Amino acid sequence: MNILGISAHYHDSAAALVVDGVPAAAVQQERLSRHKHDAGFPLEAIDWCLEHAGLTPADLDAVVFYERSMLKLERILVCSLRAFPRSWRSFPHAMRNSLGEKVWVRGIIASYLGVPRRNILFTGHHASHAAAAFLTAPTRRAAILTADGVGEWATLTVGRGERTAAGATTLSLTREIRFPHSLGMLYSTFTAYLGFPVNDGEYKVMGLAAYGRPTLCDAVRKVIRRTADGGFTLVPEYFEYQTSASRSFSQAFVDLFGPPRHPYDPIDLESADGRRFADCAASVQRVLEDTLLDIARALRRDTGLPDLCFGGGVALNGVANARLLAESGFERVFVPPAPGDAGCAVGAALYADRLYFRNPDRDVPDHPFMGPRVDADELARVARDDGQRVEALDEPELLDRVADDLAAGRIVGWMDGAAEFGPRALGHRSILAAPHAVEMRDRLNRDIKSREEFRPFAPVVAVEDADRYFDLPPGGLRLARFMSGVFPVRAEWRSRLAAVTHVDGTARVQALEREMAPRLHALLGAYGRRSGIPVLLNTSFNVAGEPIVNRAIEGYSTYRRCGIDTLVAGPTLVTKPALPQARSMKEAYA
Amino acid sequence: MATAARSARIDRVLRPVHRWVWRDAGRRVRKLLAFAEVETGGGRDILRAAEVTPDPLLRRLYLAHAIDELHHGVLFRERGAELLRVRGGRASALFNGNPLPGGHGLDDLSIEGEADARLLAFLHVAEKAAAGRFAIYRDLVADDPPTRAIFDEILHDEVFHMNYTYTQLARISPRAYRRQVWLARASRVWNRVVRLAAALGALMGAAFLTLLYFVLMPPFAWLARRAVRREPAGWVPISAREDAPPTSQY
Repeated sequence: MNILGISAHYHDSAAALVVDGVPAAAVQQERLSRHKHDAGFPLEAIDWCLEHAGLTPADLDAVVFYERSMLKLERILVCSLRAFPRSWRSFPHAMRNSLGEKVWVRGIIASYLGVPRRNILFTGHHASHAAAAFLTAPTRRAAILTADGVGEWATLTVGRGERTAAGATTLSLTREIRFPHSLGMLYSTFTAYLGFPVNDGEYKVMGLAAYGRPTLCDAVRKVIRRTADGGFTLVPEYFEYQTSASRSFSQAFVDLFGPPRHPYDPIDLESADGRRFADCAASVQRVLEDTLLDIARALRRDTGLPDLCFGGGVALNGVANARLLAESGFERVFVPPAPGDAGCAVGAALYADRLYFRNPDRDVPDHPFMGPRVDADELARVARDDGQRVEALDEPELLDRVADDLAAGRIVGWMDGAAEFGPRALGHRSILAAPHAVEMRDRLNRDIKSREEFRPFAPVVAVEDADRYFDLPPGGLRLARFMSGVFPVRAEWRSRLAAVTHVDGTARVQALEREMAPRLHALLGAYGRRSGIPVLLNTSFNVAGEPIVNRAIEGYSTYRRCGIDTLVAGPTLVTKPALPQARSMKEAYA
Repeated sequence: MATAARSARIDRVLRPVHRWVWRDAGRRVRKLLAFAEVETGGGRDILRAAEVTPDPLLRRLYLAHAIDELHHGVLFRERGAELLRVRGGRASALFNGNPLPGGHGLDDLSIEGEADARLLAFLHVAEKAAAGRFAIYRDLVADDPPTRAIFDEILHDEVFHMNYTYTQLARISPRAYRRQVWLARASRVWNRVVRLAAALGALMGAAFLTLLYFVLMPPFAWLARRAVRREPAGWVPISAREDAPPTSQY
């Protein structure tokens, strides 16, 4: 049975193909269209998934959309009515937005793919998150927690799931917190207040939080109140996202926390304003963690299950995930590599397979490499055309060369096999560098990533070496598999892992199993033999404002315009010639 | 081959408007930050062109061009932010969109699948128009040497952009390059007409929806507010709608 899952029309649209119960392909539209957070209908992603599996739309048994779009329209309408007449400005915008495309999704899918309308199915938004988290995790029974900004009405759900080997699957969400009360919206509101783009800059808030002290928790708890049943509500007077399309926080919010940061102002942590912003970030981070923790503890008590599957955009918060693992009572916490809306494409397809069609359970691949493969020949061809130094090396020689380069302080663009599905570069589309000196972090921030100096970089280490350098609690290796947890760097190594140790002594470490990415695993070993520390800095292969590279040519164009010294795809190794060519070309045409 | 920037007649006619825009510090900041977005967006589009073209020489030239545009975006952004700091600016709704038109992004041109000849012609026309306008802007910010220096640098780069696009267009389309340039000019005019029509349509749609909002919504709003008072705070049990048929959008 062939089932196509689609998520689209909000942010990070994606397509995923499940063939006979197993995800066979998944890719975010942004990787193909090259527009970051592309929310458009993911036609290119769908085309790639079908082509990869050798299928046509006629071969699809079902196409599953990741949310119920009319229910979402109902929520938007009802919220506009509740806010009448203050919602008069946002109402036309919301209606145009919804009526223009989003509610016609069945027709759009039918017309693009030519599939019968009866084969187009829908799942709930949080059911898709839950399925993406539970049905991809190597566990049979687990409690389920999902949290994001908002789906249809739900913003946070809890429940449980059970899989029987080659048998039936149950997935039951029992309770929800409903819009406008939302942990995701709370965090996004602070993201906007701190001058970062919503749905993109939330991880900057998490990074900034480490520089601050949670001195404003009481103020944050004025805007989010706990309810007697263990839930929470947001106090509406502090928020405007229900009534305004352009601002999410109100004047009362500004009165409480002070003037917001302008997006173009740098964050100066030496200034009073800079410290206030860092304290705001630390405080909302702490309140988010505490709230999630209370909910997770209650869920642990209610279900009695040792495993937790956590999905939704909030599950990208690695600091909160680590606290959930350490303090909620759950023994293992599973966060999928794409817990956000993109991952709903996989979740929706799996949900339909297991729960609508009642197909028997199948184990699914426990890795994120479900995207297009890199073409080393393409890289060799374009690099030769451009007069770059191109070498085709056998595996041991290539690994030695790259390890030598890394040990010499060079920065390496590393492309290997199929692209990752999800926002993390987990070793197939990565920029790698030596993790030892803080100067390397500053160089990467300045010359390549063009990003704020307070942002940390992540390390990658082989599973067998992880515990030596990082203080991982029981279950930590699982969270570290997809870089989903932030853990302390052992104190004795912090000075020698300065480029990947955040200001609070932590790192969002990736613990790599050999089977998941054998070449990177081998490279870690080769680098360790040179430096004495088998740890590398691993950051996503992109520059600010652009999606992670997908094809070799995109890696190549990124390498050509920033400070990456060496580029690798398969057996092909590319280095820059001595003279910069761009200047001479410009002079010729001047 | 183009070698220098000459302002279009429309820009020369609009010079008093340009002067009015650049005279005010707030408008100047907004204009610079809007340019930053346009240049960055244009740079990414040209970068994509470099990634998809099969022509190795064009790939190198597009890449050099894209690097310039992205650099211009940085220059505008840094200067805008600096002026903003000097003014002690705070966040405002003014910065939530593109408040003033301008710049030379690639409009709605779709890079994927676009023929190089058409793209080169479009780039040539766009660069020429932008260079002419930037020459006026440079003169209007004589009181602001750092901003003027940015325009000087960009105008220097524009000469390269105008020249290579025209030369390469003549290389890859030797018989039709003049026609391609005229088509690109016509396309720019048509795109402006379409954008204007779309803006008018959006305005009329918003007016109609606003009218509906105030005429039809009040009784439903009253009911909705009554209903919300009855809603419990905190957890809500998930109702039977989760068992809705899989074909339902509700």
